[in-house]
Order: sequence, then C-alpha cells, then structure tokens
Amino acid sequence: MNNAIEVKNLTKYYDKFLAVDRIDFNVKQGEIFGFLGPNGAGKTTTQRMLTTLLTPTEGRILVNGHDLSTDSYSAKRQIGLVPEESNVYTELSAWDNLMFTASLYRVPKQEKEKRAQELLEIFGLWEMRDVKTEGYSKGMRRRLSIAMGIIHKPALLFLDEPTPGLDAQSIRAIWELIRTMNADGTTVFITTHQIEEANQLCERVAIISHGKIAAIDTPERLKANFQRVQSVEVAFEPYNQSQITLADLQGVNNLIKIADKWRLYTEDPSALLPRIIQYAESHQLRLVSLNTLGPSLEDVFLEITGGEVGIVGNETQVEKPAKHGMGGRK
Amino acid sequence: MNIDRIKNELAQAWTVAVKDVRVYYLRPGMIMFGFLMPFFMFFSFSVQREGSAAEGVARLLAMTVFFTAGAAGPFIIPTERRIGTYDRLLAAPMSLLTLLLSKTAVGAFFAIAVSGLALLAGLVFFSANILQPGLLAAGVLLGAFSFSTLGLVFGSMPTTNPGDVQMPSTLLRWGLLFVSGVFVPLSEMPPIARAISYISPLTYAQDVMNHAVLGNGLLNPWLDLAVLFLSGVLFLLPSIKMHQRAQILGR
Repeated sequence: MNNAIEVKNLTKYYDKFLAVDRIDFNVKQGEIFGFLGPNGAGKTTTQRMLTTLLTPTEGRILVNGHDLSTDSYSAKRQIGLVPEESNVYTELSAWDNLMFTASLYRVPKQEKEKRAQELLEIFGLWEMRDVKTEGYSKGMRRRLSIAMGIIHKPALLFLDEPTPGLDAQSIRAIWELIRTMNADGTTVFITTHQIEEANQLCERVAIISHGKIAAIDTPERLKANFQRVQSVEVAFEPYNQSQITLADLQGVNNLIKIADKWRLYTEDPSALLPRIIQYAESHQLRLVSLNTLGPSLEDVFLEITGGEVGIVGNETQVEKPAKHGMGGRK
Repeated sequence: MNIDRIKNELAQAWTVAVKDVRVYYLRPGMIMFGFLMPFFMFFSFSVQREGSAAEGVARLLAMTVFFTAGAAGPFIIPTERRIGTYDRLLAAPMSLLTLLLSKTAVGAFFAIAVSGLALLAGLVFFSANILQPGLLAAGVLLGAFSFSTLGLVFGSMPTTNPGDVQMPSTLLRWGLLFVSGVFVPLSEMPPIARAISYISPLTYAQDVMNHAVLGNGLLNPWLDLAVLFLSGVLFLLPSIKMHQRAQILGR
C-alpha cells in the first residue's frame, strides 16, 4: 500500500526552542491516523508543517508522493484542512461559505451545489443554509467548518481537534462522517488530545511527547504493551470518603475516585480481588460492583507522556497515604 | 506554469476578491480609513484655499485613490489572521502571489468605486470637465494598484490586530501626502522639496490627475503611469518576503 504521508527527519525550531525533534513516520493511504500528544508536545506544529502553513527547519514531507518543499501546489489540491478554530465567515451564510470554499478548490458549479446540499443535510444545517453564520451556535459553526474542509472531497483530510466542546449528538455525527469518508477512500489525519476519540476512530496512533514520537502503533497493540497498568474498579454501599484507605491494600499502585466508584491500579488484578472482598467484609460494606479493567489508551498515553493518571479526562486523582508516596504511577 | 493553472489561479484570485468585497467593504475599519478619511482630509486642506473647482477635483481624485486603496490590506489580512480564515486561504491550492494579488484587487476595487463617487461629485457639484478620460481611467487604475500593494505591505506584517498596522500605515500615508504635490503644485516647490516629492508615488498620481482634469501636469504622463505600475510591483516584494518569514516563524 502506498503512503499518503511520508515524514522524514522533520524538525522545527522556533528561534532556539526545539518544537519538533527529527521525527519520522508514514501514514498509509486509506488509513485513519491519530496524532496524540499533550499540549505543547508539537502536534499542532507538525500538522501545520504537513499542511504547508509552516515551513520546517529541516526534513522532508511527501503527500501522496508530492514533496511539499518543491511541489506544494499538487499536494495542496489533495488536502482538506479543518483547523481547531471554526474559521467560517460569519458575515456569510452557510451556503455562501460552502460555495466560496468549493470555488477556491475549483469544484465545478453543479457538483459544488449538489455536494453543499448533501453536506448541509448531513450536518443538520440545511434549514439554516441562508442564515448568516454569526447567529450560529458553536456546534453549528464547527459542523460547517468541517463541511468546508471536505466539500472538495480531499484525498487526505487533516482534522485538528475535531470535536471538543460539542454535544454527544454532534460528536457522533462527526465520527460517523469521518468513518464514511474513510470508507470511500479518504485518508484521515486527526490531531487530538481526546484519547477516546482516537480510540474510537483511529487504526493507528502516534504519540508525540516533547517534540519526539514516543510510540506509534495500533491502539490495541499499544494497550497490550502496557499490561502493567491494569486496574480493578469497585463500588461499595454505603459509599464514603474513608474508603480512601483502599490505597493501603497490598499490590495497589494508585487509587482514583471516579464518581461513586474507586479504581485501583495494580499489576496483578487477580491477586487484588480477594483483598478487596476481605476489605469489604471487614468494613461491613456491600459490594455493588467489582470489575477488572485492561489498560485504556488513555493509560498508555499517560504512561508514555509521563503524565499522571487522573490528569486527562473527568477523573479525580486521590493522593495516596504518605507511606506509599503521592499516588503517581511509577 | 501551464495555461490551466493560470486560469485556475485567476479564478481563485477573483473568488477571494469577491468574498472580501462582500465580507469587508461595509466594516467600520474600511469605511473609516477608506471612505471617510480621504473626504475629511480633502475638505480639511481645501477649505479657504484658492484654486479652481477643477483643481479641487483633481486633488480629491488623487487623495481618494491614495487613501482608499491602501485601507484594505492593513484591515483585512490581520482580521483574517485573528479569526483563522487566513489559514484556509494559505492552505488552498494557489500561489502566494495569487493570494496577494487578490487582496490587492480588493483594495483597488474599493478605490475605483470610491473615486468614481468622487468623480461624480466633481462633475455634478463643481461642473468639472475631464479633458482626458482615458488617462484619468489609467491613472485611477494604476494608482489603485500601487497604493493597494503599499497597504498590503502593512497587512503582511505578522499581527492579528488590525490596529497594530492601521495607525503606522496611516502615518506613512500622511507623510507621503505632505511631501507629494497634492497641496503645493510641483511647479511651485523649491528644488529640494520637489526632489523629495519624487519619492512619493502619490506625486505621480496627482500629476496624472492634473494632466487628465486640468491638462497641465508637470511630468510626462507616461512616466507617471510607469512609476505607478512599477511601484505597485515593487511593493509586492516585501509582502511576499514577510509572508514567507511568517511561515518560518509560525506567526
């Protein structure tokens, strides 16, 4: 299979600050590829270089075989870009925004009108097509921005943080559209720090940390390499904060409170289960639920980027009692 | 570059220019700096000055083209950078020169439209007589091109706030206005002042207007037109350099 993107020795300095440090990776044609990283890791810088908006300090980028440094025009014709900011023209209607973008990419008149109608219907904007977008909600602008990025049916679509701040319905609609486009042959490059999004959509992910590619593989293979971050999730009745002493159980590396449940990170869940049951009996608690969990992509991400469990997502980290340290995973 | 590519780029430049006309012409920043300012300046300097109506019309036309054409670049590009729409244009399959020419066209169209209004006012209220309409049209066209690319130089500075470049751009234009032959005819200037006035492209625009409206310009009108065209091309160069620099700096 040919590569949609080939990156070799890509480097970017901002003055003396090294933002991207000699990275190499390929994205196969027809793949949904996730580019993950914490804020400031270099993912947006990389994506801007891949879309010709930023000139690399060093290195080579090929888009469907076209070298960006010598033939950016041919590469640009195949690229669709949906930036993080919903960059629509608020003085124009949704219809006019789409017509403008289609004209910019030289989509023939009849085709652009058909395609615009199709996209506005998919994104639930057809009824509002003639209304100036200054009156649109954030979600509506986001959907329109994505429609503008794909109206010319790009062979390679770059999506920068496609869904943050959107309601669940919009997120599902966008994910579905990405899958449909991909099924039709579009290669998709998603830059995100939403781990679940990458887990749901991407066939392969690269994790960038401090400007370097720290890992690149399929989500499942990455998870398989991190079996040490397994966990047990337990809920007791009655629930109370004093159950923080679960952290003292032998084999618990870290404890996190998640809503009315506790998640205990361990390298050996099967050894921990009887200790939890014993804990419940000795504290006169009823077990409401008890589940063992494999490592999530988020766990992998945090392991690789050196973050601590609980920093990403909606979880709250609980400090471990002093004798066990402060709860950060080793 | 093949013919198809040239056709595509011209169509793309037109698309961007038409979009900018629709989106930005009625914005306060454009009306203030591009429409009201030349008229205020004209009336401020023309009140209680002696001179014929025709002289006034020639002066108004030169000032209108000068201020109006240069208003678009410093306003539109930083605004687009701020709201993120400029990235969409930079990522589109067209050359940087095409993008810059489309922005030049936006300023030039604005100048042509507003100077048309100024001309109409001159014909209706001052009964001015245009001696060489063809030369006038060429002067307005090339003046609009030159002054629009001058404005583009400021618009190309890597900022997302139009205010950062609108004031310096206005100050420069005032400077060029005062050293040019708009208020004091070239023929009445002392030699040093006249030598300085040749730095300003507005001097040549004013001279063309004098030829076209009064029939008494000082320089060869072909020289005036050539300088306006060449200065317009010259002003594109720093804009290209600044865009390339911004792409390296990531601004």
